[in-house]
Amino acid sequence: MNQLETIIEKEKETSYSQRNKELFSFYTLTLINQEQASRKLKRKLWVSLLLITAGLFLLLSPISEMMNYFILNLSSPSMVDIFTVAAVSYGFLFVLIVFLKQRISILS
Amino acid sequence: METDEELVRRTLSEGSHHFGVLIQRYADYLFGLGMRLTSGNKELAEDISQQAFMKSYTYLKSFNSQKKFKHWLTGIAVNCYKDLIQKENQHLSLNAKDEPNYTPHLEGNIDFFNLIKPLTEDEKILFTLKYVYEYQINEIADLLNQKSGTVKSKISRALEKLK
Repeated sequence: MNQLETIIEKEKETSYSQRNKELFSFYTLTLINQEQASRKLKRKLWVSLLLITAGLFLLLSPISEMMNYFILNLSSPSMVDIFTVAAVSYGFLFVLIVFLKQRISILS
Repeated sequence: METDEELVRRTLSEGSHHFGVLIQRYADYLFGLGMRLTSGNKELAEDISQQAFMKSYTYLKSFNSQKKFKHWLTGIAVNCYKDLIQKENQHLSLNAKDEPNYTPHLEGNIDFFNLIKPLTEDEKILFTLKYVYEYQINEIADLLNQKSGTVKSKISRALEKLK
């Protein structure tokens, strides 16, 4: 038991030091910042992807609506209806783009 | 001098540069803990301390300021050590046949490393924290998320092995 205590006491007195604390601190902080930046970028990409998908869906929906009108009522297409649908869809898309721009500026 | 808790608060509100002070404050402590747990493997000890700082920064928001930052950091470092040992073992078992033996650069008090050699990884951790760092049983139980009774019996078993 005495020998055990002696070894433990000797170990307590032993001190260990990092080779270069300033460099270690700087390097670790760089790694931390790099990791944070990569997480932020991933989050931004996901949000952008989601908004772009929604935007594309809205962009394509009036086109299919117009096609339907032309196919079904080739003789007398109601241009008012077509322009109303297009205006609403593109208006919504515009709002979405503004929202996307704001979102990106908040994240950066 | 700012306390650890103040530095944590400032890191969360003002940015990571305040965390640099905490890194410098505990770099030697974590390196020493790593050296003791890895029986003097300098490279592994450095890896453990770096991983512990990175992990602690990631989970800094979850730090409870009622507790000591040093204890919280110690718990994270011990988990990093366990992860690293697991990875090392997997790597060694995968490459044992293909690669020549790697001899790590060992430094420190050889007597102590030889003393704790017969202990399991878990026992090494508990023994070191109790007898070298003089943590109380309830503190060890708290920082390792274990029951006090379990910690106590594991330390007794480790002592029996060493006698």
